[in-house]
Amino acid sequence: MKRRLFVASSLSALAGCGPISAALSQNRGVERALASAETLNHALIGTRGLAREYREGDVDRQFRVNGFATPSDANYARLLAGQFASYRLVVDGAVDRPRAFDLGELYALPQQTQITRHDCVEGWSAIGKWSGVRLSDLLDAVRPRDDARYAVFRCMDNDGAGNLYYESLDLHQARHPQTLLALRLNDAPLDPDHGAPVRLRVPTQLGYKSAKWIARIELVGSFAKIYSGNGGYWEDEGYEWYAGI
Amino acid sequence: MSSVRPAPIYRYALLTRASHWVWFVAFFVLVGSGLQIFNASPNLDASDKSDPARRVLAIGSPAAGVGTTTIFGHTFVTTNWLGWTGNGMGSRGARAFGATLTIPGYQDLSGGRRWHLFFAWVATVCWLAWLISSAIKGSLREMVLRPGDVPKLWPMQAYYLKLRETPPPHGIYNPLQKAAYTLVLFLLAPLVVVTGLALSPGIDAIANPLTVVFGGRQFARLWHFAGMVLLLGFFAIHVFQVATQGFVNQMRSMITGWYRP
Repeated sequence: MKRRLFVASSLSALAGCGPISAALSQNRGVERALASAETLNHALIGTRGLAREYREGDVDRQFRVNGFATPSDANYARLLAGQFASYRLVVDGAVDRPRAFDLGELYALPQQTQITRHDCVEGWSAIGKWSGVRLSDLLDAVRPRDDARYAVFRCMDNDGAGNLYYESLDLHQARHPQTLLALRLNDAPLDPDHGAPVRLRVPTQLGYKSAKWIARIELVGSFAKIYSGNGGYWEDEGYEWYAGI
Repeated sequence: MSSVRPAPIYRYALLTRASHWVWFVAFFVLVGSGLQIFNASPNLDASDKSDPARRVLAIGSPAAGVGTTTIFGHTFVTTNWLGWTGNGMGSRGARAFGATLTIPGYQDLSGGRRWHLFFAWVATVCWLAWLISSAIKGSLREMVLRPGDVPKLWPMQAYYLKLRETPPPHGIYNPLQKAAYTLVLFLLAPLVVVTGLALSPGIDAIANPLTVVFGGRQFARLWHFAGMVLLLGFFAIHVFQVATQGFVNQMRSMITGWYRP
């Protein structure tokens, strides 16, 4: 009798936890306390090491498409119709030499190819062969000033409600030898669904850092005043800025 | 012929008791938030990258109102249990694990991750503190199963099954307890921590062999899930035993430290 009562009360305690955890999850103080794990993880894991590079045979020829819908606005349609001949990647902000690169200029920079695994925050993984410009080389071309601490990536896709995607990396991660501005996927120019004409590849962090459809890279000292101030679209929605885990 | 009640013994040190309850809370949160994270991609593959050809478990909803669970290619209808479950907002929807099992109850991957990554630290730091302190005090010896304990496992089980009148001679913990604690504290707990770390692209870049030994990232996710299921199995047996072996005495000993033999 006592036993049954105990089991029954344990089960009802479990069932009662849904509303409790929901209430706690929405409490700002609790949220901030839980988010302290991000600081620890960033300090401990950081931006060390190199992502594993795979062989040609490991590549997913049909690379999974995820995230926002491919841009369908007039501007993107015009760029696409012109095979991105009129596309310019603006790199500005806290730099000595702000510049707008066309695709020819990006292809003229040294190209890196990497076969790396893309790890989505949702849990799935896919392997792609990416080619493009090391972000570090691009930064060298524009010379970030001493007050530049982050590269903010402004994208052309939006969440359906008009909010544009954006992301940011600190300069340490931006200078990581595998952080790539990808122009090609699996031996072909990026197609529209995979972020054409230029996307980011950050194989040492989760997929949402690898922003697609990049229009502009802005070097800043702080991203506190950009949108909600958390350094990225998903970061503003509660995801960690440090996405190494 | 007055029966003398044996004097209570001080069985659990403060740190052991504190660790026990910290783990209880952490385990509860980690399972709920882990299921929330699982829901974002409700498949487990025995591979490095995602690979439907090597799918071991898939929970889905092929049509509104229907939930299915596929294990090694065999599909079972699990409507209202798995695949089509409570969405935490008063109705049902396509979700692998339902709102009563996930933290938060409603679909919220970022919220689940915050709970999970925080309590992963809590559980791990607590484990390390307990391990170091127990090693220093020398109390680990009483808990860890040794080769000499193995022949006593069956006699102990036989005693529980009332096939034997007396238990085999043993120290503070009997051989079955030692086996359970060794399995949980030195095998399953490290397994879930290490396989969890193996899911991290940042850790993978620092220590790729860690991911490789488990068969790759998706395989590590499968081990992580399997470790959780085994720990839940331990939890169920553990609670059953506490409830049947003198509930009040057991609870008191894990709260105050004093146990009446």
